[in-house]
Amino acid sequence: MPSQSDQLPAVSDKPVSAPATNPLANDPELLGDFILESREHLTSIELQLLTLDQDPGNAEAIHAVFRGFHTIKGMAGFLDLDAVRDVAHEVETILDLARNSQLAITSLVIDRVLESKDYLSRWMAALEAMLQSGKTPSVADPAALVSAIRELANPAGTATQVTVSLPSATAPVATTSELGGKFLLAPEEPAPAETPTNGLLDLARELASAPPDLAPEPSAAPVASENPEASRATEGRAANARSIKVDTAKLDYLVDMVGEMVIAQSLVNHDPDLHAAEKPRLARNLSQLARITDEVQRTAMSMRMIPVGQLFQKTARLVRDLSRKASKQVDLELSGEDTELDRNIVEELADPLMHMVRNAVDHGIETGAERVRAGKSATATVTLKAGHQAGHIVIQVSDDGRGLDCKKILKKARAAGLVEPDEQPSESDIFNLIFHPGLSTAEKITDVSGRGVGMDVVRKQVQKLRGRIEVQSTPGQGTTFLMKLPLTLAIIDGLVVGVGDQRYIMPIFAVREMLKPAEEAISTIQGRQEMAMVRGALLPLIRLHQRFGVNPRFEKPWESLLIVSESGGKQFCLMVDELIGKQEVVIKGLGETMRNIAGVAGGAILGDGRVGLILDLEGLFGAGEETGRHE
Amino acid sequence: METMTVNEPANLQKVDQRAGKYLTFGLGNEEFAIQVLRVREIMGVQQITAVPQTPGYVKGVINLRGKVIPVVDLRLKFGLPEIEYTQRTCIIVVQIESGSGKVQIGVIVDAVSEVLTLQSGEIENTPDFGSGVATPYLLGMAKIKGKVKILLDIDKVLAVEDVEGLGSF
Repeated sequence: MPSQSDQLPAVSDKPVSAPATNPLANDPELLGDFILESREHLTSIELQLLTLDQDPGNAEAIHAVFRGFHTIKGMAGFLDLDAVRDVAHEVETILDLARNSQLAITSLVIDRVLESKDYLSRWMAALEAMLQSGKTPSVADPAALVSAIRELANPAGTATQVTVSLPSATAPVATTSELGGKFLLAPEEPAPAETPTNGLLDLARELASAPPDLAPEPSAAPVASENPEASRATEGRAANARSIKVDTAKLDYLVDMVGEMVIAQSLVNHDPDLHAAEKPRLARNLSQLARITDEVQRTAMSMRMIPVGQLFQKTARLVRDLSRKASKQVDLELSGEDTELDRNIVEELADPLMHMVRNAVDHGIETGAERVRAGKSATATVTLKAGHQAGHIVIQVSDDGRGLDCKKILKKARAAGLVEPDEQPSESDIFNLIFHPGLSTAEKITDVSGRGVGMDVVRKQVQKLRGRIEVQSTPGQGTTFLMKLPLTLAIIDGLVVGVGDQRYIMPIFAVREMLKPAEEAISTIQGRQEMAMVRGALLPLIRLHQRFGVNPRFEKPWESLLIVSESGGKQFCLMVDELIGKQEVVIKGLGETMRNIAGVAGGAILGDGRVGLILDLEGLFGAGEETGRHE
Repeated sequence: METMTVNEPANLQKVDQRAGKYLTFGLGNEEFAIQVLRVREIMGVQQITAVPQTPGYVKGVINLRGKVIPVVDLRLKFGLPEIEYTQRTCIIVVQIESGSGKVQIGVIVDAVSEVLTLQSGEIENTPDFGSGVATPYLLGMAKIKGKVKILLDIDKVLAVEDVEGLGSF
């Protein structure tokens, strides 16, 4: 076997390391994805190569291998991994010749492609090690491999070498032993353990690399000694098991079912018969069950969670581009990137977040000269912060710019007819005006923002995610936007309210307060539209029983309960019979047959197994004078 | 609550699409039958949550082991007078083909009778009632032991646009 190594030219001992200048290359998230995806490709490449070894004419296999290398090449180019890209490129060239029947797939070709595949696997391992430990990846210079692959395209060279190549079945083993001798620069490289052949490969590699003096690469020895044998073995096996791809539909179903389990568990737990039994063992087991259910639920939920950092990373580029364009010096500070959010929310949040960052850089932050004049550092700071707060995720976007200009906003609002000339709204009311459609604080239209659409879209999007957005601002010191979002879209914190014999769930984030009004607080306008006076504000009153056509227990508003709710920035009172409780519910669709019912957002299974309807307040408030079917 | 689950065979042979096993049930004075293959389960009447702004024959939604499915009262759908639900009242959960795939819907009937195997010879075409009487729901008729069973095309009975209330009712 050592004679085989003669086929490969000597490897240069200059290790290649990942360039540290490219911000993309330093993004651990992107790199992680790249590693994961490349490993998938490498695995399939190996399988296809083994197929090709048996059946060299298999065009489909050639295509598959080609595609794999092509994808890796593209991604590596994106991440500035030149060595990976070059090797993948050379292999792609060879395979392209093979695809066009200009090159026969010989064992030697397969050997070389497998070598390349192993080289790339080495890179993946090195990159992963870098992600974990922060050490710079050190993998052999690909020049030797590249020239070896190039040689394949030379028919004369191929002809002479075919004779020395091993029979197909043993070829991969030979290749690896070769690598063991020549490419032993990252011996801790975990070999994908998906095919039985790999056991052999591992063995061969280990055998070949065991005596350090066999490795001609001087820098290899210390690396090898650093890594204990044990970690090598486990790493190799775990490499592919670290993350798997799962259909989101399956995950959703799991989360759904877990939600049901939680409800069923709470049903059992609160069963009066069980409590009457007063058996300590039963109680102990029940609470054990409760704990486990809780844990299962949390785990199921966490599977759909991704860190918000990914989202923040995207804004980094934006801040750089914008600040350059506006000739402002802006630092972006991120914190709480590890905070996890439901994948759907993260996706939906991208646009609003971008918009707010854009606003901060474009409107919020002054030019360097202005800042110096105001006694601030010329470099402005935009901060993105994420964190948990009372079962919610709070994302904060703040800048240390000039802050919102109350007077300017008010002037604009008056000009747009949003505020009466003699009206003097409070400061927070004025700030909230920026969420109004058609109002923008930008004085002139710039390339990036200030077209008068913006914060209203942001607010709409945040509300769609069942979240809330607030703005705080201090003149001269900056503006802060706070977005409060639910952890997940699958579960909703609800108030269960009763009307007649029906029960409904109100999303708690929309509820401001609940009250039993005094009789004189209720008035009517033109004898029809009822209004309730709540804390000095006259709010429209909506009778839920009327909207939904059920028979209420109380007809008089002062006997029933008024829930002050907010939807689309407007407040109104919803009249229900009683408050039954507060419950976390799993949101379910009512199916396509009942998709677009005004005022109903979905259904949920309540504690007793019955279905309760989740109210859609926007729909309720908007849905004029329609009445239900039960007269 | 008693339930009965019927497994769906892999493929519904279309040789004589009408011959096969039928589940018969009573509605008023009439006996109806639907193909057993469409029946997922039969359960007693349980609490139904009313859904506003739906046609009267849509009674609401129920919890079918964690899934929320709509329930249709077949009496009201066929224009029969509404009656109090009794011990014998059943919800037949059927699976129907709709535009976007398979949908489960509960159907309330007065009482479930039996499962019959009907040969193609026993099935007659729906008689022509003359103009004005639409019979799109009907697959045919079967006369068993002197009683007429009306074979329903449950897909058409519960066609989605009808449930949404945009249809004929």
